[in-house]
Amino acid sequence: MAPEVGLSRSTFAKLSPHPYLLANLEPSDDSIPPARSNGRAPFEVRKPTVNLSSLSHAHGSALVRTGDTTVICGIRAETILTDHIPNYRASNTQTELADYDLLVPNIELATGSAPQFLPGGPPTTLAQTLSTKIYTLLHSSKLLRAEDLRIWHNRPAEASFADEEEGAQESEEKEGEKYVVAYWVLYIDLFFISFDGNPFDAAWAATVAALRDTKLPQARYDPDREMILCSRKNPKPLAVESMPISCTAVIFTGKETKDQPADGKFWLLADPDTLEESLCDETVTIVIDCTGGSRKILSISKHGGTVMTAKLLTSKEFLDWASKRWEDFASAITGSQ
Amino acid sequence: MASPTAELSHLPKTDGSANFAYGGYTITAAVNGPVEAQRRDENPFEALVDVNVRPAAGVGGTGERQLEAILQPALRHLIPVRNFPRCVIQVTLQVMETPENAYVNPKVMQPRLNLGIIPALLHAAILGLLTAAVPMKTVASATCLVITDADGSSVKVDPTPAEIDQARSVHVLGFTAGRDLLLAESEGSFSADEWATVLQTAEKVCCRSQEAGGDAEMGGYGAESENVQQFMRSVLEAKAAEGLHWR
Repeated sequence: MAPEVGLSRSTFAKLSPHPYLLANLEPSDDSIPPARSNGRAPFEVRKPTVNLSSLSHAHGSALVRTGDTTVICGIRAETILTDHIPNYRASNTQTELADYDLLVPNIELATGSAPQFLPGGPPTTLAQTLSTKIYTLLHSSKLLRAEDLRIWHNRPAEASFADEEEGAQESEEKEGEKYVVAYWVLYIDLFFISFDGNPFDAAWAATVAALRDTKLPQARYDPDREMILCSRKNPKPLAVESMPISCTAVIFTGKETKDQPADGKFWLLADPDTLEESLCDETVTIVIDCTGGSRKILSISKHGGTVMTAKLLTSKEFLDWASKRWEDFASAITGSQ
Repeated sequence: MASPTAELSHLPKTDGSANFAYGGYTITAAVNGPVEAQRRDENPFEALVDVNVRPAAGVGGTGERQLEAILQPALRHLIPVRNFPRCVIQVTLQVMETPENAYVNPKVMQPRLNLGIIPALLHAAILGLLTAAVPMKTVASATCLVITDADGSSVKVDPTPAEIDQARSVHVLGFTAGRDLLLAESEGSFSADEWATVLQTAEKVCCRSQEAGGDAEMGGYGAESENVQQFMRSVLEAKAAEGLHWR
């Protein structure tokens, strides 16, 4: 082995991470396979592990870990009476989830999960952006059905006051009109225990896994007390058939300056960690669902550069990579049930 | 749909400003920069691009932060940020008007991402940057498209808010003047083939002007939508001619 000349490996990595990553991806020796600074191949992802129902007091929860990014999602359901919803319309059966805000995601990037998150202060832009992304995707992917969140009640048939007491009781026994008396509101809280890049993939997988794990108690309306009563017997799971999975990659261009020739070399780094995210300007995220064999795209977002061309975005390799990552996550989520 | 309108340098105190209106959206952009960055934010190698989106009513929420997070990397790519180390270029985008959707109750706080407004925000920001004489590598334009199931899966350009609500999928795509895909944001449900169609259509809509007589081949789609890059050029030419009138 050649004696160390100049800087040691770790000092080089700390001082100039960009050339260090480039040197790893483009080794001078042909016998060494190209790898990233973290030892992964460019398209290699961190293997996800999922643990369901780890929280005892939530209605559903999931802990998702990919490498050093760990996020826990807890779902807590609360009831709201339709009388307390200001713009409630009984005829609305299409847009209840959005109109009455029945899904409330919130993200917290815990102090200490990564060095850049400091205690105190308002939620960072990253936390706000992530929570909007989760909220938008929850609605646009139509993951949840409103009928699972409705709580029904039989309105007693109109009894005329003139009737005898027995008569009134009899008519109450009769089947009255069924109507929605309340809704379940799902509070989806995501908490990053440790943060090492690619927060959205992990957060979204945790959300999907936790929703699949959620069981709502049996609820009925008590007209005398005008409130919802729940029983712990036979909790009902939410019907979540689809499984959208988000796949993120960043584009590393090998040049620190942004002005580069059109035919510049670039690498697509899948599932980036914090260091790689800080070195790359362009990111692409695709949300894909392969449930039932057919491949559906639920969202694509690409920002920050022009290296990722339209041709590359529609290419088979890219979509196949996303499908493969979907399989990884899907088996991790269903395997732990 | 009415053609786009713009007013340039209408705010006296900013370095550059522009008012852009199209498709029911009116955005006022105010650009300041490059000015010295605060110590805590400064980057010794490049300029910081600071984008602020302010809604028409109320204070900005998480939805606006997400819009900023989409626009900021796009604008940062267009500006040669390495030429202005330790500086900040501040872009403030005030939403003046949004088209109304008569079918839904408006909410003041809209936590959901509003895709339809992104093209107008981007165009206003670019006009603002150009009037502020901030050097730019290229310009870009964006467009919004929807795939509807109404008449057998068709692609529609420049949808109304009601159409966005009912669409199966909504897409916003931005292209630079060099026909490179700059930003893409999609939601809904669509297949890989539909995605390819959407990309092609958007590229034609955004980059149509470049080949002469391109309108003839455009045919069905996008004939009603204006070419914004050409519009921005003509507005700026008129402004430059007006500025040089005294000579």
